[in-house]
Amino acid sequence: MGIIIAVISGKGGVGKTTATANLGLGIGLNDQKCVVVDFDIGQRNLDMILGLENRVVYDMVQVMDGEASLKQALIKSKVSKNLFFLAASQSKDKSVLVSSKVEKLVLQLKKDFDFVILDSPAGIESGFEHTIEFADAAIVVVNPEVSSIRDADRAIGILDSKSNKVKQGEDVAKYLIINRIVADMVESGEMLKSEDILDILDIKLLGKIPEDRGVIDASNQGKPVILDKKSIAGQAYTRISGRLCGKQIDMKDIEISDSGLFKKIAGMFR
Amino acid sequence: MFILDFFRTKQSASIAKDRLTIAIMSDRKNSTNYPFMDEMKSEIIDVVKKYIGVRGIEIKKEFDGDFEALSIDVMLEK
Repeated sequence: MGIIIAVISGKGGVGKTTATANLGLGIGLNDQKCVVVDFDIGQRNLDMILGLENRVVYDMVQVMDGEASLKQALIKSKVSKNLFFLAASQSKDKSVLVSSKVEKLVLQLKKDFDFVILDSPAGIESGFEHTIEFADAAIVVVNPEVSSIRDADRAIGILDSKSNKVKQGEDVAKYLIINRIVADMVESGEMLKSEDILDILDIKLLGKIPEDRGVIDASNQGKPVILDKKSIAGQAYTRISGRLCGKQIDMKDIEISDSGLFKKIAGMFR
Repeated sequence: MFILDFFRTKQSASIAKDRLTIAIMSDRKNSTNYPFMDEMKSEIIDVVKKYIGVRGIEIKKEFDGDFEALSIDVMLEK
């Protein structure tokens, strides 16, 4: 029996889908069975980030409606034998999601996989609510920027009131990924520090990801950035996936730029 | 001038923190995200429906001095 994790953000464009793809692959590379499901009905994108857009035949709505079997619709990753992908429907809209069908689908996946990662649509509408409804845990993705953080708080509020687990009197575990951190801006006081963001949102930190041009380069090619060993964002995803798989990995302080680090070291010898 | 610039940029992250703290506090205060909300809404609709047609329902939190209140608007069918 696995765990269902919803990846949410409130605001769009903060890196939810990129995070889903990279964590899914990272978990697969840690030899755990993982499935990533695109819940962004009508705006399918996870397939592009994973480089699997040409392999999509059946989507998750067809599985929920009984028009295709799970086995037919699950697409195996080209990189990891442990990672599978279930596409969102591109032709329909999010009103096709019904609680009972979503529940049946995700519980089936939970039986078959160690990790079931659901890529939520942006916003806090019905598509989002269906994504969090049966989640055991949530990963909240934010950028160190006011609108992203405020929207994330709204999304967390809905998670804490509308998820099934909460309705049954339990807690939903929540973890934060801070994406697109620019170290020298944090140092000069132009960007929120991660401690401040954790304070404001009252949530545990899962990991920090630095701004990295390699992310767009990776999505251009459909090869998740975690595969690029030189990429600092890729390395961050490797650390975070390791943590999700139970490894003890220290938080790397990516909020110090190389020049800042140099100053610190130089300061020690002064 | 350089020093002025230095201090100005230094402040923007802490301005962000202060503004966010206040905005989020007020968001949370006005939020009606209770776990029971959907159920309560549908029960209220059921009760009112016994007597008159209902189109929808909206529940808002309101504050009046020391009092917190839920204001419930039931929209009737024409």
